Order: sequence, then structure tokens, then C-alpha cells
Amino acid sequence: MSATTPRSSLVRNLLVALTLIGAAGTAGAYFISSRERFWVNWLLWTLFLLTLGLGNLFLVALERMVGAHWSVPMRRVPERIASLIPLAIVLLLIGFFGVPVIFPWTYPAAAHNPILVAKTAWLNLPFFAIRLAVCAVVWMLFYRFYVRGSLRQDESKDPAFTLRARRLAPPFMVVFFFSVTVLAFDWISGLEPEWYSDMFGVYLFAGTFISGIAAMLLGVLSLVRRGRLPEVQTKHVYNLGSLALAFTVFFAYIGFAQYMLIWYANLPEEVIWFKHRTEGAWQPVAWLLPLLHFFIPFFLLIGSLGKKHPATLRLAALSILLGHFVDLYWLIFPVLGPQPLFGWPELAMASLFLGLGSLQIRRAMGRGADMPVGDPLLSRGLEWQL
Amino acid sequence: MSSATFAVLGLFSDAHKIVDAANQIRPRKLGRLEAYTPYPVHGLHRAIGLAPSRLGRLVMLMGVIGAGLALLFEWWVSAVDYPLVTSGKALFSWQAFVPVMFEVTVLFATFTAGLAMLFALNKLPFFGHPVLHSKAIKGITRDKLALSIEATSEAFDAEAARQALLDNGAESVEIVPVPAWDRPLSLVGLLRTIAAIVAACLVAGVGLFAAEKLIPILPPMIHMHEQPKLNAFQGSAFFADGRGMRPAVAGTVARGHLPPAFATPEEAAALLSNPLPLTQSIAERGHKVFGDHCAICHGLVGDGVPLLSRAYGGKPGNFLSNEIRARPDGHYFGVLMLGKNAMPSYAADLDENDRWAAVHYIRILQRAQNAKDEDLR
Repeated sequence: MSATTPRSSLVRNLLVALTLIGAAGTAGAYFISSRERFWVNWLLWTLFLLTLGLGNLFLVALERMVGAHWSVPMRRVPERIASLIPLAIVLLLIGFFGVPVIFPWTYPAAAHNPILVAKTAWLNLPFFAIRLAVCAVVWMLFYRFYVRGSLRQDESKDPAFTLRARRLAPPFMVVFFFSVTVLAFDWISGLEPEWYSDMFGVYLFAGTFISGIAAMLLGVLSLVRRGRLPEVQTKHVYNLGSLALAFTVFFAYIGFAQYMLIWYANLPEEVIWFKHRTEGAWQPVAWLLPLLHFFIPFFLLIGSLGKKHPATLRLAALSILLGHFVDLYWLIFPVLGPQPLFGWPELAMASLFLGLGSLQIRRAMGRGADMPVGDPLLSRGLEWQL
Repeated sequence: MSSATFAVLGLFSDAHKIVDAANQIRPRKLGRLEAYTPYPVHGLHRAIGLAPSRLGRLVMLMGVIGAGLALLFEWWVSAVDYPLVTSGKALFSWQAFVPVMFEVTVLFATFTAGLAMLFALNKLPFFGHPVLHSKAIKGITRDKLALSIEATSEAFDAEAARQALLDNGAESVEIVPVPAWDRPLSLVGLLRTIAAIVAACLVAGVGLFAAEKLIPILPPMIHMHEQPKLNAFQGSAFFADGRGMRPAVAGTVARGHLPPAFATPEEAAALLSNPLPLTQSIAERGHKVFGDHCAICHGLVGDGVPLLSRAYGGKPGNFLSNEIRARPDGHYFGVLMLGKNAMPSYAADLDENDRWAAVHYIRILQRAQNAKDEDLR
């Protein structure tokens, strides 16, 4: 456990200060800048934290499902980062107040738009709230099951939990894919409800998963550097880097497939969404996306040396996380206009949300042992050879 | 039998022991270390001092070359050699090129990985490794692990290698001699190989043929083959006249084919003048129209000497004669549309611009045959 050294309490105080300054700025943004901008920012940062949490919960469940050994010694890290989920759910519930402000299908004018009228069976406030509630409950239930259960296993050493966790992983996957698709359709593509893309759910899932891996990688490397995971060796981190490499390619594949199909078909109601995002002032942002999300991590991780070198891995993970932020920004912010806005309201809300997220992860990092000591697979994970 | 030693083989039963032995023996530089195991042993490649494979870099290089070549090829095909606008996209549409670039990258990378691994790095074809003729091979393919010290020079000390293996826990040691091969690839072997390939092709072909008869296979892409549409000259009960092709609506006029507003070439001469400017491209177009339609009777230079046999009997006009030269442009145009004497109308074959271009070209021919002094300067 992390003892309260002067340095760690200094970092903690700095984070608290950052959060408080951010909170003051956020309050200012609510009253000074436009309401649309405030709620769009709220959505952006909530989704950033939520997708990191969900990506890590998915990593935990994935390990359970396929029965992987190699990642068991590092599993505490994704379990702890998944603690962003309860925080983000609270933020998303608050964000519900912004729904009538930023979602055009809630405007009175939507009743005169034939496209939106045809979609009212899905896009209506009660059903929207039900979907949000169901997703939140599902995420919380699985979060508690996997994370609390794993922590309890530290003491009980009960192998039955490992079996139960494996049996529950496949149904979790199904529910998870549906919930992420609902999240993508409701909270992101719902901002421009005339537009639709069948694979948008997969696109958000790909971003969620790869950014989850990147966050886990950063967490593992930072614990290793602090000497808290002495038995996690290069081989473990190497495999995690391989997973990151594979799924940067997956993300690029999905992202490009969505773009190319819409570009090729050139249907006005579909292509306008990309036109807003790839032309004018948004074009450089659009080019940042493949660069940060694919080219930089891909070429950093493609060689076997890169995956063994902590600095390279850290750089790749940071590039992916920054790319994930740019991705969400690029998906959400064009609703505010043809100019990418990034001013003091964005900075204030960034410091509030990132501060809250960091404090939550720091708190979770002190919970339980640094390795799942009760897991019967742990010793096999430590002995595992590349 | 050759007395030269190929290698000294030490047999082990324990994967940990062979790794330890290799680690002990490697620094002594007795010869090249090699290992033969029935299953992969972790850490053994490091213990025998195997250098990291160069394959990765090669694959990367070829993958990048593949992507570049695909991009170059697609750019050349669709933007340079045969520029064809497809669904309103730019000629150089990188979005459309990416899937092919991706495939070619994968193609180059996988072929490089496979072929370079087999032929460049593993040095195949390699007929009959000497270890295959050892007594130990039966154990190696079952449950024994073998560490071999291969002779790399004349100074190889087989006895020292044997002792080193025994000292480091080898259960038994075998000295493998260099096999006495005079012909690694015999004629009989070659013939057998060819016969086997032919037999395999026959079996596969006959088998597929029979299977296709037994199990009816739907033709692929049937939805593209059988489209709900009428082809040219196909009948249709839908229309009253029973034809699939529809006649043009009454009064339809094709572009460049306005009906003439004159009844004789003389009227045309009075009404019309050549609207086309005389440019290089129009002169070339006139040259082509003249060559395709006029020259066969009026001659390549327009002198009225036909390319066809005289037996044809017609007397085509001589464009170089003073009488015809004096006629205005509109007269030529009118003759082209209405015909004259034995000459039929060309109204259906040539559109307005073709006719006027031909008139320009006839003027060029006339000028060429009646050059003035200033034309020669």
C-alpha cells in the first residue's frame, strides 16, 4: 500500500487544487459561456472517463472469458481504473439535465422534421432515460461483481469465484456490446439525429477498448516504476503492448471502414456528418486522429524492442489516450459550429474532470493488494513464459 | 563412409537441463550450437546463442514497399493512364485506394515472411539433414531433447565436445558423421516427385468434377447475372408493340442534328456560314471526318480521284477545280446534309460540328494545292 510520503501527499494536494480550480471554472462556464458549450463539454469529459472505465472493465472480463494467465498479475490495475465507472455514471446522470439543451430531437422544432418524427419511437425522453438507467445498472452490477469479488478473493482465496467470473463473462460481453452501442447512438450520434451509421457502436467500442488498454498500460508501468509490482516482468508488459498494437489496427480498420463506406456511397444525409468533420477548420483535427490513434502507436509498438521498453510503451499509450480524447472531441464538438472551440471553459472542465478522475484512480490504487493474491491463476501468470 | 564429423549430439530428457547445458557450453566455443526438440523450449534460443531474427525488419520493409507500389499503381491506372471519373469522385481518390494498399501490404508482408523464412533464413531446399540419419532421431521426434555441437572448421575437437556434453548432464552422446552424398537429388526421386504431383492433380480434378455432378452448386453472383431488366432487342409483353426497346418520343432532336432549314445547297449557301473558328483541333477533326467519309470518293487530297475502283463509275466532284472552290462554305454544308447526284446525305452520320470541321479541312486542301507566294515564306 502506498504510505503517505511527503511527495504523494503533495501530488494529492495538487490534484485537489486542480479539481477545485476546475470546479470554479466550470461554475463560471455554466453562467458565462453558452449552455450548449457547457453541456457539450460535460458530455465530452464524462464520456472520456466513462469509456476509460468501461474499457478496463471489458479487459477484466476478457481475461476471465478467455482464461488468460499472463495478465493475472496485472489485473488489479484495470480493476482499479474501472472505478471510474461509478464516478462517470454520476456525471452522466447529471448530464441528463443537458439533454434538452444539446440534443436537437428534444427541441420543439423536431415535431416538424419528418426524419426525426420517424425516429420518435427511439428518440423520446422516457425511453432515453430508461436506456440510460438500464445501462447504468448493468455497468454497476458487473463492476461490483468483478472488482469487489476480486478484492474479496484476496482474503477468502476462494477458487469458486474465478469459475463464477469466467461463466459470467460471455453474457457480460453481449450486454456490454449492446450497452456501448446504446451509449454511442444515444449520447454521440444523437447529437446529430438525422445522421446514422450502423457501425458507430463498434467504432466507439474500438475506441473504448484501445484507450482502456492504453490506460492499463500507463497504470501498470507507473506501479512497476514505483516498485509496487516487483514480479511483473518485461514479458507481461510486452504482451500488453502486443494487445495494444493489435487493437490500434482494429480501431484504424473500423474507423476507416466507417469513413470509406459513407464516402463511397455519398448519400447526402450520411456524408454531411463527415463533411462537417473533415473540411475547413476541422480538417487538421481529423488528420490528428489517424496520426495519434494509429500511426504513432503502430510504429512505436511494431518492433519487439518497442514493446519491451517502458518509455516507448508509455509514449504509445499517451498517444492513444490523447487520440481517444481527440476522437471524442472530433465526434462531439462539431455540433457547436465549424470552428473547433478550445478556450478557458474547455480547460476549466478538463481540469475538473481529469482531477476528479485522477483522484478516483489514486484512491482505488490504495485498495486491496497490488496483485490479485487470492486468484488461483496468479502463480501460473507469474510463471508464464513468452 | 566418411570419417569427418558433422556434429556431436547429446541427448537430454529434461527441458531445464538442456537449457542449462547450452548456457554452460556456449562460452567454450567448441562449435556451432544447435538444438533439436520435439516441442518448443522456452529460453533455449537464447541459450544456444541464436541471434534475433532479421525477418521482422524484412517484413516491415516489404510491407511498406507493397503499400507504396499499390498506391503508385492505383494512381497511375486511375489518374494517368486511363482517367475515368467514377461516381463523381476525384481521379486520385486515396480513400478508394486504401483497401487495395492494405491488401497488397499484407500480400507482400506475408509472402516475404514465408518465403524469406524458408529460403533465405532457413536455407531451404535442404535435402536430408544429417541428424535425420542419426540413431537419436527416433528419440528426438518423441520425448528426447538433443543439443548438438556442429563442426565449423577442420580443427573441431569431437572428443572435447563429447566430454563437454557428458559433463553437463547429457544422458548419451552420439557422433554424427558427415553423410557421404554424391547426388542429393536423384533422377528417380525427381521423377517420383513429378509423378506424385501429376497424380495429385488428377485425383483432385476428377474428384472435383465428380463432386460437382453429385452436388449441384449454384452459380456464384447469381444476383448480378440475372437482373430484372430488359436487354437490347429483348421482347416484352409489357409494351403494346411487344418490344423492349422504346422508340424516341415524337419530335425528339438529337444534339447537333437539327433538321435542315433549307431545301437546296444554294439556299444553304445563302443562309449559313461556318461558325467554327479554324483551330488546330478543329482542323484535325476535319481531317479525320474527311478521311473517314469523303476521301473514299473525293480522294485523299480532294482532287475527285476516288480511292475506290474506277469501275464504280461515279464522277465525284473535284474540290480543287475553280468551279467548286468558288462555292461558299454553306454550299458544302448543304451538300453534306442533302446529298448530290450519286452522293447520299450524310446528315445521320455527321453532326453539325463534324460537317463544319470537314468544310474547314476541304478549304485547307484547296489552299494547299493552290498555294500563294506568301504561304511559302
